[in-house]
Amino acid sequence: MNVVITPAMVGQVVISGILAGALYSLVALGLALIFGVMRVINIAHGPLLMLGAYTTFFLYDLFGLNPYLSIPVTMAALFVVGVVLQRTLVFRVVDAPELSSLLLTFGISIGLVNLAQLAFTSDLRAVEYLTGSFPLGPFAVSKPRLVAFVFAAGVTGLAFLFLQRSRVGKAIRATSQSREVAMVCGIDVGRIHMLTFGLATALAAAGGALIAVIVAIQPEMGQIWTFKSFLVIVLGGAGNYPGALLGGMLLGLIEQMASLFLTTQLSEVVAYVLLVVVLLVRPTGLLGGRQI
Amino acid sequence: MPAPVLEVEGLHKHFGGVAAVDGVSLSLTAGRIYGLIGPNGSGKTTLFNCITGVERRDAGRVFLNGERIDGLRPWRIALRGIGRTFQIIRVFPELTALENLLVVTRGHLEEARSRAVELLRFVRLDRLQDEYAGNLSYGQQKLVEFARMLMRDPTLVLLDEPAAGVNRTLLNDLLEAVTQLRDRGKTVLLVEHDMKVVMGLCETVFVLDHGEKIAEGPPGAIQANERVIEAYFGR
Amino acid sequence: MFGTGYGVRAMLQIFMWIALAGSWNLISGLTGYVSFGHVAFFGAGAYTGAILVAKAGWPWLAAALAGGVGACAVALVIGYPCLRLKGPYFAIAMLGLNEVLRALVSYFEGLTGGGSGLSLPTLHATVPIYYAMAATAAGVTLLTYAIITSRFGLRLMTIREDELAAEAMGIDTARHKLYAFLISAVGPGIAGALAARDQGYIEPISVFPLAMTITMIVMVLFGGKGTVWGPVLGAVVLFVAQELVWARFPYVHQLLFGAIIVGVVLLMPRGVLGILQLRYRLPRTI
Repeated sequence: MNVVITPAMVGQVVISGILAGALYSLVALGLALIFGVMRVINIAHGPLLMLGAYTTFFLYDLFGLNPYLSIPVTMAALFVVGVVLQRTLVFRVVDAPELSSLLLTFGISIGLVNLAQLAFTSDLRAVEYLTGSFPLGPFAVSKPRLVAFVFAAGVTGLAFLFLQRSRVGKAIRATSQSREVAMVCGIDVGRIHMLTFGLATALAAAGGALIAVIVAIQPEMGQIWTFKSFLVIVLGGAGNYPGALLGGMLLGLIEQMASLFLTTQLSEVVAYVLLVVVLLVRPTGLLGGRQI
Repeated sequence: MPAPVLEVEGLHKHFGGVAAVDGVSLSLTAGRIYGLIGPNGSGKTTLFNCITGVERRDAGRVFLNGERIDGLRPWRIALRGIGRTFQIIRVFPELTALENLLVVTRGHLEEARSRAVELLRFVRLDRLQDEYAGNLSYGQQKLVEFARMLMRDPTLVLLDEPAAGVNRTLLNDLLEAVTQLRDRGKTVLLVEHDMKVVMGLCETVFVLDHGEKIAEGPPGAIQANERVIEAYFGR
Repeated sequence: MFGTGYGVRAMLQIFMWIALAGSWNLISGLTGYVSFGHVAFFGAGAYTGAILVAKAGWPWLAAALAGGVGACAVALVIGYPCLRLKGPYFAIAMLGLNEVLRALVSYFEGLTGGGSGLSLPTLHATVPIYYAMAATAAGVTLLTYAIITSRFGLRLMTIREDELAAEAMGIDTARHKLYAFLISAVGPGIAGALAARDQGYIEPISVFPLAMTITMIVMVLFGGKGTVWGPVLGAVVLFVAQELVWARFPYVHQLLFGAIIVGVVLLMPRGVLGILQLRYRLPRTI
């Protein structure tokens, strides 16, 4: 392969990488929260994102609601879905062996995808609200991706503010540090688990709403997001929430960088090899964190 | 003076910024029973884990019969002749008591089986050999773990709180078994909170506090040692 | 039964599922390392076999065996690094493997025909292929029996029960996991090559469907993971149910699979045979 790389191409890669990375960070923060607080890897995280995308689509399609304004509605709706899932199913496997929680959330994930197929069919849907790109110096910046970046950064910032400042946020962080200590401090751990799952699902839903404007919506769009979110928390360090931000940016940049040299198909292979290599070399992630 | 069975030199293990084991050195001679005591969180179990390779040490060296074993995978260290039990029981619950013992052997199956049966008789569990280990009582599981550890005929035995949660009768059985091991030339190092057990059984006691070895000596001297009293009861 | 083409075809499918479910059971049921991408070995075998038949003119039986070898080679490349990872990491790594293989197969167009697929020369050998598939299913089941009754099998179970304790007892868990993983790739590899030969045409989407991994997992969980006959029971019951009832409602049937997984994990984690085994103190060899 003979590729000439110009500084402009590198600049383009950095811009696209950061724009994509913010979305990865947003979605992965949800997965990281659930893992940090409950020690559960939620395989259904991506399919929940898919539900968020559909919610935005239908709000747009049926009621003409601006997809960006619908983010709070979508988040609220999926918060409820998350809480219900946690209350009815997931709470039963929080202390069970890993095998149980992996298989259970895998089962939930299959259920959600096929429910979506039944209810919404496999037809590709799109929220054609914002398209095209505008020039920024020598670079082309995709409009929906730029707006998605702004909103993703905003929602992620709010989520961090919530974790840092609010009572519930502090309780969530305390519980992920040590459940025993949290209990001793009078925190209702069951309730925190429920709220965390709801919050994490809402974050996935926000990601789904933003992605809905960028790519086609279909029931199977979510699974790859479970995988990528996991890659992000591995890069950043499991249980390390700021690490999820850095991991997201890294993944965005690496993927865009790989796309300079390789076809889109192979850039997924790059992400995969990256996952395995990082896990082998630094099982606690680049920023350090807990080992799973 | 015979060559030491186990020698630990300047072992360090940190978790984050906290030193769990901070430059500990020990030397164990064959055919004796040693005690390892110290307040909660003083690094006893971490020291065990570093010796057996379950956790990676940050610095220091460990020798078994003169051969360096630090840095080896846990299973290799086990094959070299260190057997251990765990503070929290770790039997294989969905395997029977007999199978728990059989899995750790290689070579001829019938020999292994007769040895396993013999060891289960030694800990008086032969009638329960086909019961799933998970269905046994706490004390019985402890015995299964003890017998399992003996399957490979280890030269050095590490016991993590053998007396905890065990009733009197069972405890006497266990202590009797430990003494028998010593009489057969094995070396035993045990972590224990029950001072009566430590004082009655051990010839030499090591004391850890905040990851450091603060005292070493016969039980009587340890009981009178001021630094030890300080570590346990504060100033 | 052989009077109709449907009968042979249905039995062929049942044997294929027995081979697949039984193989998943060997790695995931025994060691507890969940393989979310086991269909990758089916696909690897299918492509190995199909390429050898289409490009090198191999006879189908030799190509089928080569499919097993090819899948085993993929398992070695993947398993050597991935099995050093702890359980959940391994599971996620396997979740991605499928996508990766599909991407690779599509990329190397010259050999695989890429996205447009690979056609094999016409061959009327459904009945011989049927026997070969039956032999594969029987082979996987017999192997499971041999492993479960051996100390090697017990050691695999100690990895599931308590990997750290197993290591501390002198069991080389990494090597045991790798062996189990390699063995578990052979059956799907052969089955994949046979299925490819039988269908006469393969494409990336048809041999790497996530749904296939899901079906294997459901069959084993339902029948009883870690048992000899659980995968067989699960494969037969669920395949028949699928043919009789659910085939008419494609998404409902997948939805039910999701529900079965959730239900089994929450209500009977040992599956049907596991429960019987415990309740009636049946030997490990059921």
